[in-house]
Amino acid sequence: MAGTVEAKKQIEEATKEYKYGFSSDIDMEMAPKGLNEDVIRYISAKKNEPEWMLEWRLKAYHQWLKMEEPDWAKLNFPKIDYNDIYYYAAPKSQDKPKSLDEVDPELLRIYAKLGIPLEEQKVLAGVEGARKVAVDAVFDSVSVATTFREELKKAGVIFMSISEAIVEYPEMVRKYLASVVPVRDNYFAALNCAVFSDGTFVYIPKGVRCPMELSTYFRINAENTGQFERTLIVADEGSYVSYLEGCTAPMRDENQLHAAVVELIALDDAEIKYSTVQNWYPGDKDGVGGIYNFVTKRGNCKGKNSKISWTQVETGSAITWKYPSCILTGENSVGEFYSVAVTNNYQQADTGTKMIHLGAGSRSTIISKGISAGRSQNTYRGLVKILPSAEGVRNYTQCDSLLVSDTSGAHTVPYIEVKNPSAQIEHEATTSKISEDQLFYCRSRGLDEEEAVAMIVNGFCKEVMQHLPMEFAVEAQKLLGISLEGSVG
Amino acid sequence: MTATVLETYQSQLESVIGAIPCTDALRRSAMDKALTAGLPTPKDEDWRYSDLKPFRTGAFALSKAAQTSDMPIQYFADKPAARLVFINGQFSEERSDLGTLSDSVRLKTLTNHCQVDTARADDLLEGVDALDYLNTALMRDGIVISVPAGVHVTAPVELINLVTNSAKAATHTRHLIELGENASLTLIEQYVGDATDYWSNPVMQVRMGEGARFDHIRMQSEGSHAVHTGKLYVDLDARATYRGTSIMTGAALSRLEITARILGTGAHADINGAALAAPGQSHDTITRVDHRIPGATSEQIYRTIADKRAKSSFQGKITVAVDAQETAADQSFKALLLDRTGEANAKPELEIFADDVKCSHGATVGELDTSALFYLTSRGIDPDTAQQMLVEAFTGDALIAVEDDDLRNALMDNVSRWMQERSKGGTQ
Repeated sequence: MAGTVEAKKQIEEATKEYKYGFSSDIDMEMAPKGLNEDVIRYISAKKNEPEWMLEWRLKAYHQWLKMEEPDWAKLNFPKIDYNDIYYYAAPKSQDKPKSLDEVDPELLRIYAKLGIPLEEQKVLAGVEGARKVAVDAVFDSVSVATTFREELKKAGVIFMSISEAIVEYPEMVRKYLASVVPVRDNYFAALNCAVFSDGTFVYIPKGVRCPMELSTYFRINAENTGQFERTLIVADEGSYVSYLEGCTAPMRDENQLHAAVVELIALDDAEIKYSTVQNWYPGDKDGVGGIYNFVTKRGNCKGKNSKISWTQVETGSAITWKYPSCILTGENSVGEFYSVAVTNNYQQADTGTKMIHLGAGSRSTIISKGISAGRSQNTYRGLVKILPSAEGVRNYTQCDSLLVSDTSGAHTVPYIEVKNPSAQIEHEATTSKISEDQLFYCRSRGLDEEEAVAMIVNGFCKEVMQHLPMEFAVEAQKLLGISLEGSVG
Repeated sequence: MTATVLETYQSQLESVIGAIPCTDALRRSAMDKALTAGLPTPKDEDWRYSDLKPFRTGAFALSKAAQTSDMPIQYFADKPAARLVFINGQFSEERSDLGTLSDSVRLKTLTNHCQVDTARADDLLEGVDALDYLNTALMRDGIVISVPAGVHVTAPVELINLVTNSAKAATHTRHLIELGENASLTLIEQYVGDATDYWSNPVMQVRMGEGARFDHIRMQSEGSHAVHTGKLYVDLDARATYRGTSIMTGAALSRLEITARILGTGAHADINGAALAAPGQSHDTITRVDHRIPGATSEQIYRTIADKRAKSSFQGKITVAVDAQETAADQSFKALLLDRTGEANAKPELEIFADDVKCSHGATVGELDTSALFYLTSRGIDPDTAQQMLVEAFTGDALIAVEDDDLRNALMDNVSRWMQERSKGGTQ
């Protein structure tokens, strides 16, 4: 039992004090509270959007009105009053800064606190030989500073805020927007379509290997503000991109709604690697406050031999409702999902993936690790669907849950639906606590209990962590357990 | 739509009032609940893989009581303790053979039992969904077997549920099995019927006392146009052992829902089964194993096969309650698709609220191993036989827990026959 107590302590350590819990006082420009056509018109006008975009938003809004909030996930939260939320809040800087010097120093201070190397540190501290990281920092919905633009431009890569892209590349945005996640896909996606304030657009041209990892840091800042991000990444034939998304949010007492939509499109032979470290404010130890995170992430492996890989480390948010998925349309396309989800205190996570196989010879791998502590509930929910057209498909799924308290819950809800006999589908799931034998063995080797637990927990997550880009692995390990750091080689 | 269907069922209620003494109030309450609950829809999680058309397009009449039928019955035990035959939900004295069973156990039909024991109504489960409620409201009869403490019924009891001449008519049977402390019983339960489009909606309740043991074979071999929606509720007290094996081959649409509640330390539940879906059939199995008490174990092995245009689905849920420490629960599901147009669905679910547990599930879906087939045929075995051998081996996993050799072999023969009929039917 001592081991359990220790493990519990470690996990609690890791998540107890929200390290990034602070808020800043930057004046906000806001649309009035609530959601109606006027607010949508306001957002659209603020963004100088073309008429078709406004119409598209309004259509989505009317669609949303007809839909119902989904209730199938294993999540309990008070009813959200969608009219008690600000749908648009932007930092005050009206003119786009020419350089970092022109950026509001308050912003820079926050980024510095967060450890984002927006200024001189183009290479992340402490990571030897790290590649360059391009940061498109999103501060409460509006992209305020973009670095590395020039270098990316040389490679022909388009990396800009989606509102800019709507103006500059309307044809491309129009072609791909909502092509993977249709407006009516689900309640939160429809809401996002109606009110999304900003986000990122990435286009990698044919045959280009993006010269650096692209990265967007999100922050939720204003009180009662929903964060409705929209990300669209298109990888043209034979291209490659690795995209990093990291989230931290200031300490707040009130629940904040986050309903992002991420769409990925990989054409022939293209590869997209999408990594997330999610550390929104999880609420305090009594379950007060915290972010409600309802995210729709989906990629379409449209071309043959294309590949989309999702890696996520989820430690934050009071409520997580998130299923990064792959539609494997292309022949021999590959979908991957690697996930670590840690919940503590009163956090609730219902997360997983969907792999929809349409293309012949398509393959998918799902590795999910859930760690539940405190009084949290952690659910893996996944779907592997093989349609009749998908000949010779392979899927391997592994979902493991580790329980480190006797008051938490770990749940696994996989769906397997097969309509083609040539498919080979394997699914395995286990749930257990840290075994006394393993602990005993480690301790007999001279490790103290803390180190032993650290080692075991690290080993438990290793299969996922190794898929994170190096720059991210550092932060992810920090999030997994501050007290685990010392024992990790 | 379903409202009018349910109203038709409500109008059937009066005809069964009084059929089983002391259940009238329960029937009325259940019918009210059925009306409130409404018929299941594809949006109900447990029904996502079942086609509800037969239920929604119209109500089934109540099947007519029949004392006898000349339909042949396949028996599995050479020397059974008793053969109990129900025809259209009513006990058939003519075809039953009570043997000497009633010497050692309390054996009564539900109608008789309620006459002598008014408390019986309290033992009857009202239900958890519309189909249960309809069963409670409209049941005609059933068997009550109470094995007293310490009594071992060594020979198997055969329980046959036969439906005949029941086109678009429903039979709701309710069976009750009770095992006292350290008692044991082997039951071979069969569901058979003619080729009419009847609906069989049986519910069996099993209550097991401390240290009791129940070996249970359940064979669903309904007629080819039938709808079968079977429910099985098993409660296990401390150290009780339930060994259940179900085989599903019949009916156009078949569902079996098994709910095992583990209520005592040291209890063990084996819930195994095989479902063989011939062309056009739809089979759905739902298991719920509910570990409520520390230190109990459960194991599930399911194998399903789907032929042309057939659908085979499995939803298995293991729940471990907050205090149910030291639970070990395993589940293995494998589906085999024999044809391009077959479909297999699986949803193995774990819901765990205790930390000191070992729970796992594994699920696979695939077709017959072509290299194994090739190997067998290269040894001179013809392709049909080779396929049959592989299918038998595949299904055998689920039947292995049947301890009685003769019985297990008889069940295996059923699988072989199914394969033989398949190749005869030219479905190759």
